[in-house]
Amino acid sequence: MKPAPFDYIAPATIEEACAQLAEAGGGATILAGGQTLMPLLALRMSQPFILVDINRIAALRGVTRSEGYTRIGPVTRQNEAIADSTLAKSLPLLVTATRHVGHHQTRNRGTIGGSIALGEPAAELPATAVALGASVEARSVRGSRRIAAADLYLGPYMTALAQDELVVSIQFPDWPSGTVNVFREVAMRPGDFALVGLTGAVAVKDGHIERAGLAWFGMGPTPIKARQAEQALVGQPVAGLDFDKLAGLAVADTDPFDDHHATAAYRRTVGRRVFARALSEALQVHQ
Amino acid sequence: MNEMKPVEAARYVGQRVPRKEDERLLRGQGVYVDDVELPGMLHVAFVRSPIARGRIRSIDTSLAREAPGVYAVLTAGDLARFKINMLSFYLSAPAIAIAPLATQRVAYVGDPVALVAARDRYLAEDAAGLVTVEYDEEDPVVTLDDARSGPLVHPDTDTNAAIAMGEEHDEDIEQRLAQAPHLVTATIKHQRVAQSPIETRGVVVDKHGDGELTVYISCQSPQMAARYISLALGMPQMSVRVISKDVGGSFGLKVQPWREEIAVVAAGIVLGRPLKWIEDRLENLTAANQAREQEMTLRVAFDAQGHLLASHADYHLNNGAYPHGADCNIAVSMFLWAAHKMPGFSFYTRGWYTNTAGLAAYRGPWAMESLARETVLDIAARKIGIDPIEIRRRNLVTRADQPCTTPFGIPLEDITPAECLEILLEHLDVAAFRAEQAAARTQGRYLGLGFATYIEPTAGSAGISVLASDVAQIRVEPTGKVTAVLSTHSQGHGTQTTMAQIIADHLGVPFEDVSIFEDDSSRGGFGAGASGSRQAVAGGGASIKAAELLADKIKRIAAHLLEADPAQVRIEAGVIRVVGEPDKTRSLREIAELAYGEPERLPPGMEAGLEVQYRYRPPPLTLTSAAHACIVEVDAETGFVKIKRWLCSEDCGVMIHPAVVEGQIAGGLTQAIGCVLMEQVSFDARGNPTAVTYKDYLLPAISDTPDFEYIHANTPSQAVGGFRGVGEGGCIIGPPTLVNAIADALAPFGPIPLELPLTPTRILEVIEGRSLAPKAPGHAPPAAIPAAPAPTDVQPVPSPLAAQVPPPAADSSIDGTWKLVLATPLGPQTFNGRFKSAGNSVTGSLISDIGTENFQGVLDGNNLKFDLKVTKPMSLTLKYDIRFDGDKLTGKVKMGIFGSAKLTGERIER
Repeated sequence: MKPAPFDYIAPATIEEACAQLAEAGGGATILAGGQTLMPLLALRMSQPFILVDINRIAALRGVTRSEGYTRIGPVTRQNEAIADSTLAKSLPLLVTATRHVGHHQTRNRGTIGGSIALGEPAAELPATAVALGASVEARSVRGSRRIAAADLYLGPYMTALAQDELVVSIQFPDWPSGTVNVFREVAMRPGDFALVGLTGAVAVKDGHIERAGLAWFGMGPTPIKARQAEQALVGQPVAGLDFDKLAGLAVADTDPFDDHHATAAYRRTVGRRVFARALSEALQVHQ
Repeated sequence: MNEMKPVEAARYVGQRVPRKEDERLLRGQGVYVDDVELPGMLHVAFVRSPIARGRIRSIDTSLAREAPGVYAVLTAGDLARFKINMLSFYLSAPAIAIAPLATQRVAYVGDPVALVAARDRYLAEDAAGLVTVEYDEEDPVVTLDDARSGPLVHPDTDTNAAIAMGEEHDEDIEQRLAQAPHLVTATIKHQRVAQSPIETRGVVVDKHGDGELTVYISCQSPQMAARYISLALGMPQMSVRVISKDVGGSFGLKVQPWREEIAVVAAGIVLGRPLKWIEDRLENLTAANQAREQEMTLRVAFDAQGHLLASHADYHLNNGAYPHGADCNIAVSMFLWAAHKMPGFSFYTRGWYTNTAGLAAYRGPWAMESLARETVLDIAARKIGIDPIEIRRRNLVTRADQPCTTPFGIPLEDITPAECLEILLEHLDVAAFRAEQAAARTQGRYLGLGFATYIEPTAGSAGISVLASDVAQIRVEPTGKVTAVLSTHSQGHGTQTTMAQIIADHLGVPFEDVSIFEDDSSRGGFGAGASGSRQAVAGGGASIKAAELLADKIKRIAAHLLEADPAQVRIEAGVIRVVGEPDKTRSLREIAELAYGEPERLPPGMEAGLEVQYRYRPPPLTLTSAAHACIVEVDAETGFVKIKRWLCSEDCGVMIHPAVVEGQIAGGLTQAIGCVLMEQVSFDARGNPTAVTYKDYLLPAISDTPDFEYIHANTPSQAVGGFRGVGEGGCIIGPPTLVNAIADALAPFGPIPLELPLTPTRILEVIEGRSLAPKAPGHAPPAAIPAAPAPTDVQPVPSPLAAQVPPPAADSSIDGTWKLVLATPLGPQTFNGRFKSAGNSVTGSLISDIGTENFQGVLDGNNLKFDLKVTKPMSLTLKYDIRFDGDKLTGKVKMGIFGSAKLTGERIER
């Protein structure tokens, strides 16, 4: 369990990093917090020619507010995000989700952007980005583009990012006042990847659902948006919601798999209950 | 708490003194194998088989040899000069030939094929990736079902059954089972687990000159490792020194060096350079030997009141390809009903070879007996309609029933599982729990309470020669400090503390003045170290006896110097004084300086110095007892289990250090929780391991373990010091306690599957009352495994030699000398048989290392039958039934309660 040989560079600027990625012609891997990459290197499951360490790029860290959205630098440590006063106010769901990423020790090093760019299907942050309608800004020597989180994930550890692209920010749009958050994770042990996970938000106005963004993790090859349930929710009075029916719609969008830890049938069964309970509790509706 | 005080005034034994090793370990100053750095040392990486079963067509090492930093690439042929014989556990002969590196075939994914030595581990792994091995892949034998019906794992055997013991059908027991008012039948499956020590295996070898070898290895006994290495390499002339300072856990995996370690040692001799191999976690979870993977179908008959009538156990164990010993784990059968009033019991037990990593010991290797018995007792209680506590009360052997003997002939004198259970119940309000449970159920909350009791053999000193004794060498240095060299070996057990407590008490010196060394085979005599829960009993007994001898000598010297009666001399806190004469004192240092430096002042004829040795043989078996209870809540929404309380009521004899005792129990219980809820080594249909990192191989975390409640219900044992072993118990009694609690919680939904681990999926299936099984089974057996011919169909194949020179006259005679191999529970026993026939009568003798036994037998055609009475390891009549054909013979030997063992033989002399 020692990595195969690789070259290592640690650029100080985004431009330099992009130039290096372009020059590597697909042979480079970006090192952020390294909490997934280092074990993959040690197992030789990842064998890049060159490791581009972005930890020294100051511009990639920190949280800023703009009109209508919150911007997070990808190299912001997960524990920094948890302790960030801006995020506590503007993105409490992201803070809750981040508390479930790994363990305190790994969160000291692990980054928000690393988790979002990696695309582990059972991870908390990609699904939260999908649920809340976040987007990433991808930079390369070819230019800059914005990718909606909903379009980012193609499969397990596969994203729409090109090999020369670097995520330079993640933007989470503001949700209306009256938004309640939904988060529930079923994992074998605290800090493990989810067997079943649900994350998202529901905006309520005048007793009606104004907007809904809900996504599953651990329930398919990518984070999965519960589109049918979202559509069924919007416009409905909170008082009259049929949570079981909504849960059925929500699970219908999933594509879970059998693995070492749980079967697909388990995930669907528990997912249905998790959805109904988490949503009704968030909306403070007693079933 | 009715713990006993040991002899004299104990000052340290029984106290929670700070552990001597803790500061070193907590400050990161422990010395593990990977901390050893030697000048010129090379690093080893292995090339391992990516397939589970097949033939090696070719190995091309040319590219790897030219890779940067590579010193050598070795394959089996490069080690052939040693004629290495891997030994089974406890140094017995293996049933099959096992080479350190694969020779012609590979038998599991991870089988080591070649060894690369390079400047560092990175370069070694780079080069290992450049070795090209071509295989002819064959369909593997992965599961127990595969083993029973599939092709041969080892082509030179005639069946995948590595060993079988017992009787499949005992007419008397079958009748009792058939006629009983209640018959309970259950199949219990225990998954395969990985020992997962925090320190993986590792070895550093350093050859000096021609005849000296220093080996640093993570092991359970430096002496055992040294003896193993010297025997395996067949180099008794070589002086092997093994050093093993700190060990980060073993749990049975490091009872003996195994293929990789021996390969590295041999390579170190070949290359003449120090070599280091540290097993990485991927290797540890795939290629290291593993444990458990057992199935038992247990039938138990009860009378109308729930008293035991009879039982039969049908047991299977997956040995993997190269087990530490071909095993059918006879202890499972021996202890299944050892603590119960069981009138009749039969068993049939088999160990099977498969194309998976080999079997090794794991804390309480026979634990399956407790899991099977205790879960089936609960099923029976439900069926008969009595309380699970009551069914145990009615069947356990109590102190009043003793002395008595188990069906296997094990004498019981002082077991206390029934008493432990009663003491446990003083700390648990069962009625209040049942009320809480009933109320919770009305709210959709599912609480459960489970019980289990057990006894455990500890510090066994009979039958297995390497476990017979332990040694303590104690000396008072000229400085007055006390140094003890012991054959114990801490794996985290804290023997540097517990043995110092004992010695300080029995010598009369401050605990701080006693230093324990157990890390270097060259310092002390042979002992098995950490094995079979033996250290407190065997090492503790040796320490007491040696300290007493030394105290006696010190008192005699002091009496001589002070002109006092030795009986009036006391040693307290390192000061020697005479009762009633306050002026007459000497420090231990003064006595020591004199003993070494001025021997003329010693009593006439006394040997100089203050050094003694005592080798202690504990009683044949010291039995530990316990009763546990556990309360769980099962989340009916997710199938998750939360452990709310866990009470342990145990009798481990005199406690040396209560915190060490509790640490041992807690550690074993944590492993038990892992076994029941999450740990699982699994393979796909091609024999590929599917949980190869800790992302998938789940160990219980601190969040999964409750605060265990300890009730010390101790009674002193018969051993010197009154100690009983406590190392393995938690891992044995824990699984049934937790399984029974989960079953109780889920009782409203129906019975639970007795198949570990009880994952959330399996539990939710019970709650849902429907299958949640995988859509497309990932573990289906391979489509077409050609079935091996049943053993009875196998025609004896004449040896090529016999075919060329047929000896027609000899065919009809058994006369001559035969080499015989008997497959026993302790591994194959090899001995010679001499036969001389006269008509239908045969006289003969069986000759082995331990002696010659004579017999008279009866011949009927090609069939010879004779009886032999033996007294070792216990009184048994062995009934031989032999069929000979040419120069080969096969047969079986009925060994009383142990059932039948297979005998094979070859004529070596006419």
